[in-house]
Amino acid sequence: MRDMATNPQTTSTDMTVFPAKTRNFGSIEVRSDQIIYLEPGLLGFTKYHRYVLIEHHQEAPFLWLQCLDKEDLAFVVIDPRYLLSEYQPGPLPQAMRELEVESTEDLKVLVILTIPRGKPQEMTANLMGPVVLNLKTRQGRQFILDDPSYSHKHRVLPG
Amino acid sequence: MLILTRKTGEGLFIGDDIRVTILEIRGKQIRLGIEAPTAIVVLREEIYRRVQQENLQAAGARDIDVTEVAQLWRQE
Repeated sequence: MRDMATNPQTTSTDMTVFPAKTRNFGSIEVRSDQIIYLEPGLLGFTKYHRYVLIEHHQEAPFLWLQCLDKEDLAFVVIDPRYLLSEYQPGPLPQAMRELEVESTEDLKVLVILTIPRGKPQEMTANLMGPVVLNLKTRQGRQFILDDPSYSHKHRVLPG
Repeated sequence: MLILTRKTGEGLFIGDDIRVTILEIRGKQIRLGIEAPTAIVVLREEIYRRVQQENLQAAGARDIDVTEVAQLWRQE
């Protein structure tokens, strides 16, 4: 089993641990201060709100966004700065206000990767729908950019 | 589907929190003003569907997929 992505921002003393079933990692133990709440949920999955971030230990910057309420619902995500150093979505200040992010240290922006089955070389990143998190409150939300410069199918690896 | 007829400047409410106003009608185009709480997602249909479709495709990623992309990533 992998370690949960540690969150140094957390000051909560509520350390209740409970098991969660996942398809990829089997049964995992989740501390209540590791749970991320997406409100509203991801488009297409708006009834699921509780997720955890799980690191992928292979010297690669990929993370898992694993749903806690549906064991086979998991997304591979990445910090978009690994893909585009200048990724700066216009509505980010508004997103920070809505999520009450007080300091940029508490801000985490992730984009979801789509990996076509059997064709990992063709994976794409959805730069149009970043998931923005407030690490302090662990509240997050997928923001949709109405900006043609950011594709929902941004090619990650060269063809 | 509920069908209503409205004129420019008129509007409608969806529940207590969402207000839609017809701002302008010009030929085949209509400008709508939408006031809704920030938790409500308001998007053009084609954009909503594009992101929803992408999320559906990205969901259910498997461990082996990530192992493969991690390998490719290290090779780059």
